[in-house]
Amino acid sequence: MEKMTCVSPLSGKTMFCHLDAPANAISVCRDATQVVVAGRNIFKIYAMEETGFVERLNLRVGRKPSLNFSCADVMWHQSDENLLATAATNGAVVTWNLSRPCRNKQELLFTEHKRTVNKVCFHPSEAHMLLSGSQDGFMKCFDLRKKESVSTFSGQSESVRDVQFSMKDYFTFAASFENGNVQLWDIRRPDRYERMFTAHTGPVFCCDWHPDDRGWLATGGRDKMVKVWDMTTNRAKEIHCVQTIASVARVKWRPERRWHLATCSMMVDHNIYVWDVRRPFIPFATFEEHKDVATGVAWRHPHDPYVLLSGSKDSTLYQHMFRDASRPVDRANPEGLCFGLFGDLAFAAKESLMAGDAGRKPYPGGDRRYPIFFFKKPDVTEQFAQVSSALSVFEFEANGGDEGRGRMDWFVETARRYLLTGKPFAELCDHNAKVAKELNRPQVSTTWTMLRIMYSDPGNPATPANHNISKLGNIPLMISLKEMSSALNERNKENRVDNLHNLETNLNIDENEETEGSEGQAEYLFGDAELDDDDLYSMEHDNQTEEPEYILPQEAFPLRHEIVDHPSAPEPPAEKPESPQVSGGETEGSCLTPMESFSLISVSQLLFQPRLPPGFFSPVVRAALTHYAELGDVQMAVSALIVLGERIRKEVDELTQEHWYMSYIELLQRFELWNVSNEVIKLSTCSAITCLNQASTTLHINCSNCKRPMNNKGWICDRCHQCASVCAVCHHVVKGLFVWCQGCSHGGHLEHMREWLKHSNHCPAGCGHLCEYT
Amino acid sequence: MFVARSIAADHKDLIHDVSYDFHGRRMATCSSDQSVKVWDKSDSGEWHCTASWKTHSGSVWRVTWAHPEFGQVLASCSFDRTAAVWEEIVGESNDKQRGLSHWIKRTTLVDSRTSVTDVKFAPKHMGLVLATCSADGVVRIYEAPDVMNLSQWSLQHEISCKLSCSCISWNPSSSRAHPPMISVGSDDNNVTYSGKVQIYEYNENTRKYAKAETLMTVTDPVHDIAFAPNLGRSFHVLAIATKDVRIFKLVPLRRDSTTSSGPTKFEVQLLAQFDSHNSQVWRVSWNITSTLLASSGDDGCVRLWKANYMDNWKCTGILRGDGSPVNGSSVQGLALNTPGSSGAPTPQNSVAGAASAGRYEAQLILRMADFIER
Repeated sequence: MEKMTCVSPLSGKTMFCHLDAPANAISVCRDATQVVVAGRNIFKIYAMEETGFVERLNLRVGRKPSLNFSCADVMWHQSDENLLATAATNGAVVTWNLSRPCRNKQELLFTEHKRTVNKVCFHPSEAHMLLSGSQDGFMKCFDLRKKESVSTFSGQSESVRDVQFSMKDYFTFAASFENGNVQLWDIRRPDRYERMFTAHTGPVFCCDWHPDDRGWLATGGRDKMVKVWDMTTNRAKEIHCVQTIASVARVKWRPERRWHLATCSMMVDHNIYVWDVRRPFIPFATFEEHKDVATGVAWRHPHDPYVLLSGSKDSTLYQHMFRDASRPVDRANPEGLCFGLFGDLAFAAKESLMAGDAGRKPYPGGDRRYPIFFFKKPDVTEQFAQVSSALSVFEFEANGGDEGRGRMDWFVETARRYLLTGKPFAELCDHNAKVAKELNRPQVSTTWTMLRIMYSDPGNPATPANHNISKLGNIPLMISLKEMSSALNERNKENRVDNLHNLETNLNIDENEETEGSEGQAEYLFGDAELDDDDLYSMEHDNQTEEPEYILPQEAFPLRHEIVDHPSAPEPPAEKPESPQVSGGETEGSCLTPMESFSLISVSQLLFQPRLPPGFFSPVVRAALTHYAELGDVQMAVSALIVLGERIRKEVDELTQEHWYMSYIELLQRFELWNVSNEVIKLSTCSAITCLNQASTTLHINCSNCKRPMNNKGWICDRCHQCASVCAVCHHVVKGLFVWCQGCSHGGHLEHMREWLKHSNHCPAGCGHLCEYT
Repeated sequence: MFVARSIAADHKDLIHDVSYDFHGRRMATCSSDQSVKVWDKSDSGEWHCTASWKTHSGSVWRVTWAHPEFGQVLASCSFDRTAAVWEEIVGESNDKQRGLSHWIKRTTLVDSRTSVTDVKFAPKHMGLVLATCSADGVVRIYEAPDVMNLSQWSLQHEISCKLSCSCISWNPSSSRAHPPMISVGSDDNNVTYSGKVQIYEYNENTRKYAKAETLMTVTDPVHDIAFAPNLGRSFHVLAIATKDVRIFKLVPLRRDSTTSSGPTKFEVQLLAQFDSHNSQVWRVSWNITSTLLASSGDDGCVRLWKANYMDNWKCTGILRGDGSPVNGSSVQGLALNTPGSSGAPTPQNSVAGAASAGRYEAQLILRMADFIER
């Protein structure tokens, strides 16, 4: 044919025009310059020009248009450009001759069908042969040289929805029916179809012969599917199936693209899709311009794959350019990724990505328009590649050692082994410190040790040093304690962070450059606790103190000194949100994790310990716990909260505590650590948490004798006046743990049942039921 | 560090999402082939497909698990404009013996007029609540008033985001101090509309979701968004997959108790921004303690990100599809730095520090032990 293939993509753009009424069908003239639009109230011919549609002819003439003009379908003859045929909703088949000199172009009128004619179809090569398919279940073949049909085909099925002459076989046509059947007919044999098969469940709304491949028929139905059939074999073979999201109203093979076809839907979905039948799940391209369902689609030129015309119920006629189509594949996410509970990662990705190919180009940015010259080259975007995803799960190596920290085993182990109650405070801390240490978590372990030291009773024999010191100042210190704590508390209230900061700074700078605040404070605090005690002095000497009159700094500084000497200087605490300036330039290198810096604070404060009220440490501990929580280790926060109990509870506001508890409990439940979770709930002091254990605790039970529901609260059943919960083995009333079979509702003491079931599968009550306990 | 276990997924088209359940023993995958598969982990650690069924008549974009308290429940969303809720039926059928379980559709949510691009269950404490977002820019929040009846869902809220939505994430915080919050990402291609991430917060007084924040700095299409699990934090951390990986921190500002009617205001900080995928980033996912972030991009790699205590984020690993670490990954990872932290220590130092940390700790303990002895 003409060399339209190269020319056409260059000319034309996506354009549309408003029609006066919804369209039902469109058809393109042979030379691809004009299009006819037909509908219930419209029958017009538009010329397609560079810039837009231009109305050429209105075929609805006459003052009172008859029902013959109410078109369900229209077709332009493929060789005679003056000849059109329409199918009317009243059953009329009309032909139109554009060469008629008068305004009324109507030529022939066939009124043989009794109901709506759904489809008309000219023979592709025979000039005078017209085929129609109607709601009344008949197909008729008209010879336009005669006034009536030459043959009638009875499908013996329901209504005919579509008829299509084969492109290649001169005598063959296909018809699709509302009952899901497709029939193949020979035009010379009106008595019987050549072949029939069921193509869809529900009506088959449309069919289309492949323009090149002999015997390929595409059908679309209400079951939302498009199927491609190979008709060359003895039995029609389904070779492709495309699942769309709505019933398929029209299907049209794309010119020059063997595997592509365009579909539009009958309802709900307003888009026009172009599918590659080899990839039946994602549309190859989508045209999203219409506001209502498209009713007619036609490729503008039988050899140009880039221009598609469509008419719609929204009363518009569109020319779609392929380069403006959206490509759902490009937006579809090619990867899936999810972190598992134990730190394993599930990852699914398009195989080409996994292989490391440059399968996808770097993102072109905003618009996906390709330059026009692109079309002349082998079109990369239209090349087909089989796609599939590879799925893999990344798991931590079992013996990951220290690197396996991402693995959550430590959490489970810790949760199981931590002791939260039942022992003296110091022992709990020691135990937990040991657990943490064994699990290779030195920071946490140290924190536990710190906590113990900070809060232990001065007289606790477990801490000999404390014991030692505590002897000296029990009475005299009491006074100073009060002063100090009040002073400190004020200070803390004003600026706790500052306090931390100061302490931190002290750690970093030389001892001669102490900030005034901390030194002055210390002096003031311990001024009147001036000590004559030898023990203390000796200790200070051990620590190489230079200013013996100030006890607090002297004790604290040597440690600081050593820390400063350490090649890697400590970091300020990670209290970033409140004091970002802390984490600034004075640090030489970051080598400490925050807990260590907290530890440092603790160390420096440890020396205050015997003479300080426990509350002194609260801000620090609170900050430490908060920090743990922020690092994602809510386990530490909650465990410490429970172990410390009253010592810290007042310091952390209720909401935060509740949040920690809730988070920890949820984590425990994720790991199916129900017992631990329950213990935590029990030990928590938040009202909102403890009540978790009170919820849904009612069991509705039936009496084991009479099988009636037990209503009252006691042990005796209302109806049979017997004791309901009797152990089937020992015949005593069971109080406490009661286990019973859900099948026969007999049961008893857990131990007894377990014993019994070792020997027998039958119910101990003798009911004959084969009990199952899991 | 990681071993890759390859699974023959046998999906017939792209897999768009994988999702672990609450306890990490089950996994669901969804694909363009319109099916969802459920995988169960055997005791030996192998994954077996125990269910595979056609869920939609279009590409299934996302699949997500409900909290097990509500049963074994999945939600999926699709190009076919619907979202669906599925429940596993435990029966004594033969299926069970063959290692297959049966999933039945409890409801189809058909309110969207365009592709439903994401579906997420709300945190458990909010009840059985499901959010969907669609390509026409509407976030819909459904609630099942009766948790025992999964077939009844009422549309509670419709939030119009104006821009085509691609992903949503609930704030998982269970704290009462944090009202329900949902973030929405848009994959709108037009970079002139800035603010591709919007955050909506439930207002107790008006009983509506109101916009609390728009991240104006995000101008490129957003493909995935994920709030970090909040285990007792006062602030929120949000990871975003766009043309790079970004991590934002949202610190709620204290509001005046008198004028608490408006949405919470946030101080938004960009914690990190990494373009080392060199391409679109498609997915981000947090581990449960929110210490590790994984991202995957068009380069076919998974990158792991971890913060040190200074909130300096850096790459701690790169995984290829087969689990092998990528050559030079460490170099690449360390070359990155958080923007705006010029005074921060160089990553090399922090690595050395991390190594020496344990030793240091030990000294500290020893010294303390010394002290206590005395």
